[in-house]
Amino acid sequence: MARKYREIGKAGWGYTAITSVVGFIYFFPVFWIILTAFKTRTDALAVPPKLFFTPTLENFQSVFFRASITTGTSQATDMGLYFFNSIFIAFTSVGLALIVGTLAAYAFSRYPLKGNDTYLFIILTTRMMPPIVVIIPIFLMFRLSGLAGSYWGIILLYTAFNIPFSVWLVKSFFDELNPEIEDAARMDGATERRVFFNFCIPQILAGLSATFVFGLILTWNEFLFALLLTGVETRTVPVAMARTLGGEVGVDYGLLAAIVTLFLIPIFFVTFLLQNQLLRGVTFGTVKK
Amino acid sequence: MSDLRVENLQLNFGAVQALDGISFDVAEGEFFCLLGPSASGKTSTLRAISGLESLTAGSVHFAGGDVTEAPVQGRGMSMIFQTFALYPHLSVEANLAHPLRRDGVASSEVKKRVGEVAELLRVTHTLKRKPGTLSGGEQQRVAIGRAIVRRPKLLLLDEPLTNLDAKLRHDMRAEFKRLHRELGMTMLYATPDQLEALTMGERVGVIRDGKVVAIGPPRDLYQAPSDTYVAQMVGSPPINFLQTKASSDNQVTLPFLDQPLIAPGAKSGQPVTLGLRPHDIALASSGGAPLRFNAKIHLTEPLGDVTVIDVAAQEAQMKMVLREEVAAKYSVGDAIEIAFDPTDIHIFDQASGARLGAGAQS
Repeated sequence: MARKYREIGKAGWGYTAITSVVGFIYFFPVFWIILTAFKTRTDALAVPPKLFFTPTLENFQSVFFRASITTGTSQATDMGLYFFNSIFIAFTSVGLALIVGTLAAYAFSRYPLKGNDTYLFIILTTRMMPPIVVIIPIFLMFRLSGLAGSYWGIILLYTAFNIPFSVWLVKSFFDELNPEIEDAARMDGATERRVFFNFCIPQILAGLSATFVFGLILTWNEFLFALLLTGVETRTVPVAMARTLGGEVGVDYGLLAAIVTLFLIPIFFVTFLLQNQLLRGVTFGTVKK
Repeated sequence: MSDLRVENLQLNFGAVQALDGISFDVAEGEFFCLLGPSASGKTSTLRAISGLESLTAGSVHFAGGDVTEAPVQGRGMSMIFQTFALYPHLSVEANLAHPLRRDGVASSEVKKRVGEVAELLRVTHTLKRKPGTLSGGEQQRVAIGRAIVRRPKLLLLDEPLTNLDAKLRHDMRAEFKRLHRELGMTMLYATPDQLEALTMGERVGVIRDGKVVAIGPPRDLYQAPSDTYVAQMVGSPPINFLQTKASSDNQVTLPFLDQPLIAPGAKSGQPVTLGLRPHDIALASSGGAPLRFNAKIHLTEPLGDVTVIDVAAQEAQMKMVLREEVAAKYSVGDAIEIAFDPTDIHIFDQASGARLGAGAQS
């Protein structure tokens, strides 16, 4: 039975105050960025910072359309494509990693091999190395194989980087299940495939959602590999964002804030959709069954 | 004709030998209990019969055929698990319907059969709910329902009452007997609780370390246990054991008795164990039992209707059972004159534990 969350009154003013301070520290920067996205260039750079101002959608407009410096006419930017790239690459690779990871996790959990723990450890070690260590060989491999700059190249890489995480997390969810339920399904006449799809998977949906969201956040924010391995056509938002920094007109903070605000929306949306599952996913196994 | 026959079941998990040559028969329609402490091999036996574990050696014959290599799905058996193992993501109705759907029963028939089973087990009001919202007793009844809804020829029950509280256990014992009578299916019931085995089983097989050490009707196991292990497993409170030596052929003396006991089969000087059930010890004043002796009360455990009394006669410690109102007259430290009938004594060889016979008066 899940414990009910205490109401503010019951938690006491001390806890409420501490939580508020922590919450403020975490959310103020986000709040400020969103605020900046609605400011004009002058308001964004005003000293002292302005809390009250006349909001404008100019920044959002210039994310997608910008006046050309040379001709002065409005031109479409490539930002729409970059948003598509980010969404497509992140969702595909995290989805693929989840599928492969779930199948592998089920095998590791239910059909352990000799030296099962060793294999699991080896899988985990691929995540122990800092990305910067492997970037050069990977860069060269991608160059030679022609994967550099292609969708499938970066998707393959992100999938590979998400698999260890998926295997470990999903395996822990499978381990928590009561194996007698699977035996009961078998005795009722369910085939092995059915046992997996109709009995194991539905029981760990919350865990799968949590794994998906965590993987998605990691991949969504990834910068280093995207910077080196994506091309003009496959560039993701974090890389595109970095490219708006600097340049001949200085940093356009309003524009940057508008991109960040838009960049937050998909993750916010997914997290919001899966919030009930997520809460159960992260507390899986910690609550008395 | 026997419905289920298992021969020489061997099952190893790595270096651990879970089953070491289990053999027994269960007749069609019989209620057969497997009694043994935890980790003695009861669950492994049931899982081997169901096909959930593949055997290292041995064979399982069921309904006239060898099913040793048959897949789990097609054996026509159902199992009730210790944890109930209800499908948590499905409603009670879907839980009950699942075995039928897998058998390809038409959906109108499924609905009818689920309704009947829910009625039989009094869970009709829970059909739309998820198992997690049910009480322990309701979950248990749904688990039974799921197992019997396809009308299996054999029902395997793996400690189905272990996770229930005492009151429910009592009710469910009666429930299982009722179901067995009404459905007439063969039942194989594993339990560590001698009370369950004795009250429900038509025959009981006692398991020890992956071997069946005795098979028989509960009455036989209680009255003539084949060795000290069986004597200990059956009966509550447990049997009293007194260690001694045969003073001469067919005779033993106990220090607190003024006359020797006839112990058929005991050789002079052979170390023997005498077993005496707590219920076979009576107050000397009640008459009837010819062998009287004096003892001192060490401890009393009132159980409501009866009281278990620990007494010591010289060095020998034993338990006896008195009705509460009789026991109330005594307190710890009191002297008490008690008696037993020598024919109630079970004589075992101390080294092997095997039964030699019953006692007699000299």
